[in-house]
Amino acid sequence: MPQAEIAKKTLLGVVPVSSPFYAFHPVTRLTMLVFLSVAPLFIDVPEINLVLIGVMFGLLRWGRVRLMDLRKYTPLVVTVALFMFTIAFVSPGDTERLSRFELAGLTFYFEPMWWAFVSYVRLMAMLLGAILYFSTNRERDVLVALRSLRVPYPVSYTVGLSLRSAGMFMQDFATIREAEQARALDLESMSLRDKLKLYTMYTVPLFAVALRRADEISTALFARGYTLSGRPGTGGKRTDYIRDRFVMRPADWLVSLALIALFVAIAIIGRTTGLFAVEASPLRAIVAAALGVA
Amino acid sequence: MNAVEVRDLTWRYEHTTRPALEGVNLDIVEREFVLVVGPNEAGKTTLVAAIKGIIPHSMSGILKGEVRVFGERVEDMKAPPLARQIGMVFADPESQFTALTVEEEIVFGLENIGWPPAGIERQVRWAAEVTDVADLLDKPPYDISGGQKQRVAIASVIAMEPRILILDEPTSMIDPLGKDQVRDICAELKREREMTIIVVEHNIEAFAPLADKVVVVNDGHVERVGPPAELFAEIEYLAARDLAPPQVTTLFERLRRPGRYVGELPLTDEAGIAAGRRLLEAAR
Amino acid sequence: MSLIEVAGLTYTYADGTQALRGVDLEVGEGEFVAFIGQNGSGKTTLSKCLAGLLRPTAGRVVVDGVDTSGKGVTKELARRIGYVFQNPDHQLFNSRVADEIAYGPRNLGLPDEERERVVQEAAGVAGVRAELFDEHPFFLTKGLRQRVAIASTLAMRPKAIIVDEPTTGQDHRQSVEIMEFLVHLWRIEGHTIVIVTHEMPIVAAYAQRVVALCQGRILLDGPTREVFAQSDALRQTFVKPPQATRLAQAWRDLGVAPDVLSVEELHDSVAGVLASRVARAAAEAAASERSPEGHGMSRGTA
Repeated sequence: MPQAEIAKKTLLGVVPVSSPFYAFHPVTRLTMLVFLSVAPLFIDVPEINLVLIGVMFGLLRWGRVRLMDLRKYTPLVVTVALFMFTIAFVSPGDTERLSRFELAGLTFYFEPMWWAFVSYVRLMAMLLGAILYFSTNRERDVLVALRSLRVPYPVSYTVGLSLRSAGMFMQDFATIREAEQARALDLESMSLRDKLKLYTMYTVPLFAVALRRADEISTALFARGYTLSGRPGTGGKRTDYIRDRFVMRPADWLVSLALIALFVAIAIIGRTTGLFAVEASPLRAIVAAALGVA
Repeated sequence: MNAVEVRDLTWRYEHTTRPALEGVNLDIVEREFVLVVGPNEAGKTTLVAAIKGIIPHSMSGILKGEVRVFGERVEDMKAPPLARQIGMVFADPESQFTALTVEEEIVFGLENIGWPPAGIERQVRWAAEVTDVADLLDKPPYDISGGQKQRVAIASVIAMEPRILILDEPTSMIDPLGKDQVRDICAELKREREMTIIVVEHNIEAFAPLADKVVVVNDGHVERVGPPAELFAEIEYLAARDLAPPQVTTLFERLRRPGRYVGELPLTDEAGIAAGRRLLEAAR
Repeated sequence: MSLIEVAGLTYTYADGTQALRGVDLEVGEGEFVAFIGQNGSGKTTLSKCLAGLLRPTAGRVVVDGVDTSGKGVTKELARRIGYVFQNPDHQLFNSRVADEIAYGPRNLGLPDEERERVVQEAAGVAGVRAELFDEHPFFLTKGLRQRVAIASTLAMRPKAIIVDEPTTGQDHRQSVEIMEFLVHLWRIEGHTIVIVTHEMPIVAAYAQRVVALCQGRILLDGPTREVFAQSDALRQTFVKPPQATRLAQAWRDLGVAPDVLSVEELHDSVAGVLASRVARAAAEAAASERSPEGHGMSRGTA
């Protein structure tokens, strides 16, 4: 038995067993995702996105998400940073019109580096928004949200089935890895090139498993009376017992509409005024001054 | 009217040369508990698939003859009415489970056949109780064992209250505890419900005691149909088809031949132990 | 030194599940062992630790002198201990049967000629006919796929072979065939065999020694007869001895040998008890006929 049932692993992340987020309707939580992961796109002022990141960490704490479970994203965060800043350093573009500064004996160009910083912060905000969503929503919640938005049943069902199949594949993948090891395949001593070739080889057993499964799944669906349209045998519309159990409460409407309004406001302000533009950032001015750049 | 009537059924899968079933005739009476046995590739799964309607609707091949369920031709029925009449549980607990929580899985079929929403909760509750999965309703499939998944499969099928329940090797891929639980559920369904139950199994020991009749399928034909006590007495016949009766039945058949034992052949532990005690004590 | 030595083996999965809690075990060369126990008892985890597919969280597993926790021991372990998975599809890496069987030897770096030879040999022993060499393994029947998987393992010439659920989903004839084949590998070819299984009649008929696991620990370990005699202990891991054994145990107070493993043994024991009772009753009747107060005819059932 796993120790201390504080958090449960899902196919998409790790969710706490209980959380104040669960009081919200799945559609509300989906609205949060859309807002948090798309709004940063309109904002080129990193301070604002940094505040947003801070707010999201606060929400994670409030939602009882264990930050420990998010450790697995650290390599990604670091890698993306290295990647973006290195690119900005290595190919700054037309250096004639850029401001340069020296640091540790190297020549940097301010505008591309600052832009890399802005983009990185924005990307991290969007990523954290997605992480927050998948740390407070189970697969069932995702599907209920889709169905509540009246996405056609076959579409939401396909999403669910894909998730389920992915889950089954992950188990098969682990077994296939063990089977390869049993055939003397020594992963540790392999070159990167060989390892990449290996991944194409996984397709053979995965395909075999997939083909047989696909057959079995389609038979099982038929046996449960499922028709491609998702419509019930008695004609008319399909009922949705589980979706209908979730009800939008006043708090849900409040939060969802507020977020939508905020999103629209940000989009309009971003487009029509220069409030969120790169140059509008006070931090930029401060850093530029500190580096001795105009 | 019989629950199932199979008349001259012949089926050849696409891309094969020999028919999987040839000229099969079979009647199953309502509320009968039928055990279908036979070697692998004999046609057992093909037979029950034809009763369920998977053949010809979900498989490609050539069909001759007909299968009627409560008078209606299976060939003419669509998936939802077929699911309403006949439920089917498959051998692999994993690939049958397509939803992301147990509750969703059980509700799926009910919604497919258009069950009135007001009654869905009751069906779910009842089915979960019979199969003892009530405390698993909120769990995802990767959080439960194979045996539990198989019980969920049974729940999701009986929730639709089909008149016929088919189980195709339901215990072959689960652990011994799970096997016993599936067997017990079948026993309860037989007692409490008016279901016609058809089980395909190699695990003859568990299901022979429940069966009203046994159907032996071999090489694409239905070879024998008869009550279990009668059929499992024919040791040579079964051995020639590589079918092993319950060990208790074999024991008493061997004692009966030279007249050491007189009486019906037991099929269960309890009946066998009791008969054995009587026999051994009488000889004192 | 035993072929496989396990000391204090503990294994915890990434999600925190403790599958094995301190297992000590020795498997000698030439044994035929069955691991039994309910799902979650740790039997599959133990079998994978033995093959070096999982590294101990604590404790040691040493196979033919090779510690499974060592670095870069994959090839050395594959040479010594093979593992046949339950689902042949998981072990399907090539599009030709011959290439599949050659896959292990190729990974071990065997030269072409030697590789050809071991493939022919392994295929021969496993009953994979040469006509099948060009076939795609995916399209073979389950029984043949299992044979190809075994041939692929044999091609690496391991001393020990672990087979996970050899008879699941098989009919009686196929089960007997595969088990007889494993017995052949054991008796004639000299392999050490470990099977992981749920099917008690198979264990009773073929295994020499049984290791029963419960909640990550070894519950029982001994000759098959002895283990099945302890039905109360076995109940903890939801295992029942075969029906013949259960009947014998129920009749033990009536003189039937309680440690039978098959219907044949049970029948012999019961017939023997009946015969000795008949003989005794006849003797008593003869004795009472000689005495003044005759006690009537003996009730004998021949």
